[in-house]
This record gives sequence, C-alpha cells and structure tokens, in this order.
Amino acid sequence: MSALIRIRDLGREYRMGDERILALRGVTLDIHRNEYLAIMGPSGSGKSTMMNLLGCLDTPTAGEYWLNGEEVSRLTDDALARVRNREIGFVFQTFNLLPRATSLHNVELPLVYAGVRGRERRERAAAALDQVGLGHRMDHRPSELSGGQRQRVAIARALVNQPSILLADEPTGNLDSVTSDEIMRVFTQLHAGGQTVIMVTHEPDIAARTERVVVLRDGQVESDRVNRGAAA
Amino acid sequence: MKAPSVTVISRMAEGAGIALDSLRSNKVRAALTILGVAIGVTVVIAMASAITGINRSITGILESAGPKTFFVQRYFSGGLEISDGSDELSPWRRMPEITVDEAELIRRLPAVRDVNVGEYTEGPVSYGGTNLSEVKVAGFSWTWPQVNGGDILAGRNFTAIEYAAGAYVAVINDKLASSFFPGVDPIGKRIKIYGLPFEVVGMHAEAASLFSDADEPRLAIPHTTFRKVADYWPGWMEIAVVPTESATIAEAQDQVTAALRIRRGLHPGDENNFSLVTSERVLDAFNKITAGFFIAMISLSSVGLMVGGVGVVAIMMISVTERTREIGVRKALGATRGEIMFQFLVEAATLTLVGCLVGMALGAGVAWGVRTFTPVPASVPLLAVVAAVIASILTGILFGLYPANKASKLDPVEALRYE
Repeated sequence: MSALIRIRDLGREYRMGDERILALRGVTLDIHRNEYLAIMGPSGSGKSTMMNLLGCLDTPTAGEYWLNGEEVSRLTDDALARVRNREIGFVFQTFNLLPRATSLHNVELPLVYAGVRGRERRERAAAALDQVGLGHRMDHRPSELSGGQRQRVAIARALVNQPSILLADEPTGNLDSVTSDEIMRVFTQLHAGGQTVIMVTHEPDIAARTERVVVLRDGQVESDRVNRGAAA
Repeated sequence: MKAPSVTVISRMAEGAGIALDSLRSNKVRAALTILGVAIGVTVVIAMASAITGINRSITGILESAGPKTFFVQRYFSGGLEISDGSDELSPWRRMPEITVDEAELIRRLPAVRDVNVGEYTEGPVSYGGTNLSEVKVAGFSWTWPQVNGGDILAGRNFTAIEYAAGAYVAVINDKLASSFFPGVDPIGKRIKIYGLPFEVVGMHAEAASLFSDADEPRLAIPHTTFRKVADYWPGWMEIAVVPTESATIAEAQDQVTAALRIRRGLHPGDENNFSLVTSERVLDAFNKITAGFFIAMISLSSVGLMVGGVGVVAIMMISVTERTREIGVRKALGATRGEIMFQFLVEAATLTLVGCLVGMALGAGVAWGVRTFTPVPASVPLLAVVAAVIASILTGILFGLYPANKASKLDPVEALRYE
C-alpha cells in the first residue's frame, strides 16, 4: 500500500531582500497511515517550515508532496484550503479557538467550511467533544475553560472532519506537566484508534511518546528512527 | 458533496452575529460608524413619508370633488413659475377671463351634469360682539354641494332663485358656527359679511384635507352676491365641471373645448386660450414639484451613506487587523478566500443594516410627529423602506470590499503567527 504522505526532495526558499534563505533543502520522507510521528529539531532547523508544508498552509519551492494520492505542492490557494479542510486537522500551541464562540461552535467550524448541514454538523461536533471528554462543556466559551480543556476543544475541532492526518504544533507548549500528560494521553488514544498523528515539537519528553522520531537540522533530515520504547 | 445554500445561510448568521457582537463591545465606535447611515436613512424615510402624505391628501381632495370632475381655468402653470410682470413671463395676460356666461354655456352641454363657478377671497365677518377679520369667503353656484362634496349638517343650501336674485344668504362651515354660535342653532341667525347683513341658511362640513383645513372658518355665498359685496381679486373665476354618469371625462372635455373655442371665435390652429385641469394634471404638477424634493433627499441621504461607508471601512480595517489570527485559523480549517471575503462583507452589511434600522425608526418617528401635529397624513411608504434597506446593504458591501479583500488575501502562515 502506498504511503499516506510521500515527500521527495522538498525544498523551501525564502527571499529577504536580496538574501535567499533555504529553510528546507531536499527533504525526502514517507509517512504511512496510522503512524505516530514526531518531527524534532532545534530552532532554525526548518521544522516550522516543514509543519507549514505538511499542513498545506504553504507551498514548496522545490520537490514534490503527495498527500493521500494527490500532488498538492502546485495547487492554488483555494484548492489548498479544500485539501486542508478535508485531510488535515490542526492542533496549535496556543489553541487558537475563536474567543466569542462556544466549544460546540468552535468544533463545528471545519464542518461549516465543508458544507455540512446544521443538524448533522451539531451532532458530529458534539460527538467529537464527547470523544475528548468535553461533552459537558459544549456551551462554554474558551475563557470559561482551563488550558487543558481548551486544547481538548481544539483537538475535537481537528478531529471532527475525520482528517487523514492530525498535525499538532507543540500541543503541550502552553500547558503544565500534569495537563500535558493528559493531552498526550488523548493523542495516544486517538492513535490507538487508527488516527495518523504528526507532532512537531522540541521537547524530547513529548517525542518519546511517539513511535517514530524524525530530527531535522539545517533544513535536512538528520535522523529518522523508530521509537521502540513508545508507550502504546 | 456540499450543500452551499444551507451553509451560506449559516455563514451569514455567523457574520451577522460577529458584527452584532462587535457593535455591543465597542458601543461608541459602533454608534459613530452607523451614524452616517442612520442620518441618511432618517432623511429618506421622513421626507418620503411627508411627500406620501401630501400626495395622499391632494389625491383625496381631488377625489372628494369627484374623480371625473375637472376645472376650466384661465391659466394653469403646471409647476412653479416666477413672473416679473412682463408679458413673456406672464402668459395669462393673453388669456381672457372665464365668465359666468361661459359657465352657463357649459352647463347646457349634453355630457355635463353639473357646473359650479368659484371665486374666493378673505374678509371680515362678525356676529354680535365677535369679529373675525379673515374668514374665507367663497362665491359659488347653487350646485356647489353636489360638485364640491361634503355634507349640509343643518338647514339648507341657497337656492337657484336666491342665486339669481343675489340674495344675502350664507352657508357657514362648522368651525365658523362654533366660533359664533357655541351650543346654539345657527340657522336663521344674522351675521355681517363686509358689514352687510346675511342670513345663515345652512351649516356645512367638509372632509379634512391638506389645503382646506376643516379648522378654518369659512362660508359660501351665492356668486352673484359675492360679486356685489366682496373685496376680491377679479379675473380668476374658475368653473368646476362634473360630467354625466354616461359620459367619459374625454367626451366632456371635448365638448367644453369645442364650445369655448366657438364662443371665443378661435380659428383652427389657434391655441386654446383657457386651461382644462384634471386631477391628473394637478397631480402631475405636484409631482414636478416633489421631484425637486426627491433629488434633494437623495443627495442628502447619499452624503449620509458615504459618511457611513467611510466609517464602515475604518471599523472593518480595525476588525480585520484585530482578527488576523482568527483569519489564519479559519484558513487553516479550510476557509477559501471567497468564504473569508463573504464573512467580512456580511459583517459590513450588518453594520450598515443596523444603521438603516435605527434611521428607519427615527424616520418613522418623524412621520408620526408630522401625522400627529400637522394635517399631513404622513405615512412611511414601503418602497422607501425597501430602497433604504437595499441602499444601506449595498453601501456596506461596497465599502466592505476593500477590508474584506484584504482579509481574504492574508497568508495563513503569517496570519497564524500574528500576535
């Protein structure tokens, strides 16, 4: 079976005035369905760029990116928006919930852009909130929730469209260690349920929970190893 | 697959909700934003209501005189005209006066049921110790109640014989009766008009309308008597003509025109030296005058909408900047450019629509005031409401385009990084 993500010689170049900065220089990587993977690296290693490309928020200046059988590296902005909506669930470090909207409405948002009708939308959003253990906080606004609860809402929002990949960018960066542990257990459970999870992090503790760790340095893959000690 | 129509509605609801939220949280800013639109709409609604009211009362007057009634006049300008007294600017000078003989000629035409001659002035009327210096005095034919409408409440009208004799009899209106004879039967009382004794033979009530205010004291006397006693501006008698049941207005007008042309010795090709004025012509003339008001109204309200539009641009630019991160999130979740744009346009249109609703409420209040405190039956026309709603939504969309476009073009990576 072919890889869910197939990346070949991926490059991303930025221009700052006359200067050219190569953030990624020829990354080749395959990620399969139901993998649980961490992308690590020090700052400046290109891991944010990698995350933006994987998440179809940005397009590469060189190489190919096949996602779920589709070459997405040359798509237009709007086509990329559709791909993001269908294939990718984002979890951000700062949660990025809409402050004025309830949990339920926040989780409904991807379904709104997918064109799902109101009643089905509410049912699916409620189910996703149940899945992350927040079925009883549907009508609360983010300001009425703890950090851990906010991140659970964000995970429910990422899951609600049943995306091919869950893409988490430092998901525990703003949480204390107890809450971090809870959130990581949610990811582990989701992975156990068949979800492909990609986590971008600089914390070894977090990476240690995953099954595969890809380390970037200076825009290239420095190491790519299977994490044998990972808790299933 | 997608069901766009359903999600369009839910996105509109979302955009409207966000706009209302930001109105609530920034009340002063919001009030200033919608002020221009509100003023513009207030002006439109108030003026449109007043014009509708005036229009309605004019139509009412013309219809109370009978829908088929038309007038023979010396000259009908059909609009506002300014004269310096020269012949060029005083076209009525070439028009002969309308005469009573001509009225009698018209009365005998087969398509004519009734005529009433009319001449008007204001003069002193007194009873006992009560003196009124400016009572409206009309000189009419004995047929005037049938032609002008209204009701004889008590007594009777003057007769054809009294008319022919130039008798000193008067029909007073209810207002004059209550001034002179509060709680007393006025019939048979003697009043003085221009210092001459007249017998009150009847009391008349007319329907309230814009130009003949029922609150004004007025009276009618035979036209023959009027010419003997009244101090009036001669030369401007008019004839009201009521066609028969079976005749059309056009038939009656043709007969009147032909009869007057023959009597006045006009040759074929000469222009008529008299005017026939129908309800339609009066309305036309009125509409010409109100067209000027409409232009003033539209320019005033456009200025309001422009000011409101600039406010919309300002508040929307602030909104886009404040919510850069949110835009990034929405894009990450799959919103296309069009969807982001749509959201902000709905938000902008909601702002102007709220302004419009405020303006409509104020305008309706003004209309209510006009209706309550003046005789003009002002009412808010549906067309003005629809036009105001459409104009304000369009203003929101037009002025929202720039900020909405700016929002839609944000790079998701940059927007998500925005602090």
